[in-house]
Amino acid sequence: MTFTERALKILKYNRLTAIGAGIVLLVILVGVFAPVIAPYDPNVIDVPHRLGAPALKHLFGTDEMGRDIFTRVLYGCRISVSVGIAIVCVSAFFGILFGSISGYAGGKVDNVIMSISDMVLSFPSMVLALALTASLGLGLFNTMLAVSIVKIPVYVRLVRGQVLSLKQRQYVKAARTFGAPPFWIIWKHIIPNSLTPIMVQMTLGLGDAILMAASMSFIGLGAQPPTPEWGAMVNSARAYAIDQWWYAAFPGLSILVTVVGFNLLGDGIRDILDPKSKQG
Amino acid sequence: MTLPLLRLENVDKVFVKKTMMGKKSYIHAVRGITLDIQRGEALGIVGESGCGKSTLASLIIRLETLTRGKIILDGTDVTSLKEKDLRPLRRFVQIVFQDPYSSLSPRMTVEEILTEPLKIMTKLSKAEMHAKVTALLELVGMNASCLDRYPHEFSGGQRQRISIARALTTEPEILILDEPTSALDVSVQAQVLNLLNDLRQKLHLTYIFISHNLAVVKYISDRTAVMYAGQIVELGPSEKIMLEPLHPYTRELIAALPAVGKKLKPLTKAADMTENVAQERGCPYQNRCPLVDLRCKSERPPLAQFEPGHFLACWGVTKS
Ligand SMILES: Nc1ncnc2c1ncn2[C@@H]1O[C@H](COP(=O)(O)OP(=O)(O)OP(=O)(O)O)[C@@H](O)[C@H]1O
Ligand code: SF4
Ligand SMILES: [Mg+2]
Repeated sequence: MTFTERALKILKYNRLTAIGAGIVLLVILVGVFAPVIAPYDPNVIDVPHRLGAPALKHLFGTDEMGRDIFTRVLYGCRISVSVGIAIVCVSAFFGILFGSISGYAGGKVDNVIMSISDMVLSFPSMVLALALTASLGLGLFNTMLAVSIVKIPVYVRLVRGQVLSLKQRQYVKAARTFGAPPFWIIWKHIIPNSLTPIMVQMTLGLGDAILMAASMSFIGLGAQPPTPEWGAMVNSARAYAIDQWWYAAFPGLSILVTVVGFNLLGDGIRDILDPKSKQG
Repeated sequence: MTLPLLRLENVDKVFVKKTMMGKKSYIHAVRGITLDIQRGEALGIVGESGCGKSTLASLIIRLETLTRGKIILDGTDVTSLKEKDLRPLRRFVQIVFQDPYSSLSPRMTVEEILTEPLKIMTKLSKAEMHAKVTALLELVGMNASCLDRYPHEFSGGQRQRISIARALTTEPEILILDEPTSALDVSVQAQVLNLLNDLRQKLHLTYIFISHNLAVVKYISDRTAVMYAGQIVELGPSEKIMLEPLHPYTRELIAALPAVGKKLKPLTKAADMTENVAQERGCPYQNRCPLVDLRCKSERPPLAQFEPGHFLACWGVTKS
C-alpha cells in the first residue's frame, strides 16, 4: 500500500485521526488568516463595553478592558501555533545534531551526551522548564527557549537509536567503503531515513509544546499582557472566573482543543507510517 | 612469481564485547590468515555461517580495523593508514554485499545511488557522471530508464546488478563479492553469476568471492580457500578442492553437496552443534574430526604446502 492509500484508509476508518487532522487544519488556517477573519483589533480598548457576555457583536464576550475575546482568541491561535512550531523545530534541530553525533561517535562523547539527556529526562519537564525560564528571565522568547531545551533529549534519544540501527545497514557501509566522511553519511543517509519517526515525534510534540508554553504564560512567566496569548489570557481571567465565565473559558477551550487535535493527528500519522500498527 | 596485488599477513580480528556485568567477552573471528591474491585471479572463500568470511571482507575493505597482522595492497602497506590517507586507495577495492534489500538506500533513486561514490571520490561534472552511470547500467544488463526509479521497484536480481554497478563506479581493481547471490532464486542466481564472469573478463577484475556454497564458488573462482573458525584450513585450485579435497572439513562440505556428494565418502561424523565450538588450543576442527589424534588437541596445525599450489592445515592427512 502506498503512503496516500494508507493515509486515506486511516482517515476514513479512524475517526479520531480525521478529527485531529480537521482541528489542526482549522487551527493553522485560523492562525494564518487571523487578521482577515478577526472582526476587531485585538488590542483596542473599549472600557464602556468591558466584561460583556457573549453576544452577536462580541461572539466570545469582552474582557476587562472591553477588548473582543473572539478576536484575541484568533490572534492567540497564531501565537500558540507559531510558538509550538518554533519550539518543536529548535528541539528537533539540536536533537538531530546531538543524537547523530552521539550515535555516530560512540564512546566517551556518546556517554557524555546520553548522561546529560537522561538527567534532563529524569526531571518532570514542566518543573525543569519553569526553573529554566525563571533563571533566563520572563517573556515569551525565554519560555520558548526553556521549553525547547527541555524537549531536546527526546529527539536525541530517538535520533541516536536511528543512527545505531542505520549504521549497520549495508548501504551505509557501502558509503563508508567509498570514503564518505561522517558528515556525508549523516546528511545523506541517516537523516533522510530517520525523517519519518522524527516527523511523528514533532507532531506529537507540538501539542505538548503549545500546552507547556501556555502553562508558563498562565503562571505569568511567558507571554506578558497585553499579548493575546491563550495562557496569558486565562491568567488575566482568573479574577473574573466566576462571574464572567466566558473570559477564561474560550482561551482555555482553545488550548484544550488544539492540544488534543495535534495529539490525535500525531497518533494517526504514526499509524500510517508504521505498517505494523493495527489500524493499517 | 610476481608481486601479489593483495597480500594478507597473519591477519587477526578479535571482537571485544562488553557483557551486562561489565565483563569483556572476546570473539576471535579471524585468526592468522595469510593469503596472496594475484592480479586478475578469482579467489573463492567458503565456509559455514559464522566462520568469519564477512569479517575478513570487512578487514580487507577496511570497515573494521585489524587486531593484528598486515594488509599490503599492490606493494603499499595499508594496515595502519588513517582514514584520510586511505581515501585515495579505497577506489581500488570495492565490495558487493549479500543482502540486495539493505544494500541500496530506499530514499535514493538509482541515479543517486550510482553517482554517490563519484560525488565522494571524483570531481566529474553532472553530465560526465550521468554518462558514466548510464554506461555502467548497460554493462550490468540494465538500461538508463531505471535511473530515476527507486530500489523498491526492482527485483532482488536487479538490485544486485545495481549494487554491482555501484561497486564498479570507481573502476576498482579488486571486487569483493560477499555472498552476492545467496539471497536470490536459483535461476536468477545463475544469471548474476554469469554476469560476474563476463565482467571479470571485460574489465580484468580480481575477485574475492565469498560463499557458503562450494558449487557456486567453483563456478567463479580459480582458487578456493576453505575457512573454518576464522582460519584457512585448505587452499588450492578450485578443481582440486572439489575433486580431491584433503582436509576433513572440506570433505564434509563436499559430501553435503547434492550432485558431487554421493561420489565422495564423508570422512566426518554428523556435525554435532554442541561440539561445534572452536577450540582455543590445537586444531579448531578437533571436536568434529574423525581423524582426531593427540597432537590435534595440543598443537594448532599450520597452513603448509601439501603439493605445489595446494595448502593444508591438518596433522592427520599425510601423503600416502
Ligand atoms: N561487529 C561485530 N561485533 C562482534 N562480533 C562480531 C561482529 N561481526 C561479526 N562478529 C562475529 O564474528 C564471527 C564471524 O562473523 P562473520 O559475519 O564474519 O561470519 P560469516 O562467515 O560471514 O557468516 P555468514 O555466512 O553467516 O555471513 C561471528 O561469530 C560473529 O558473531
Ligand atoms: S588437525 Fe587433526 S583434528 Fe584437525 S582436521 Fe586434521 S586430523 Fe582433524
Ligand atoms: Mg557473512
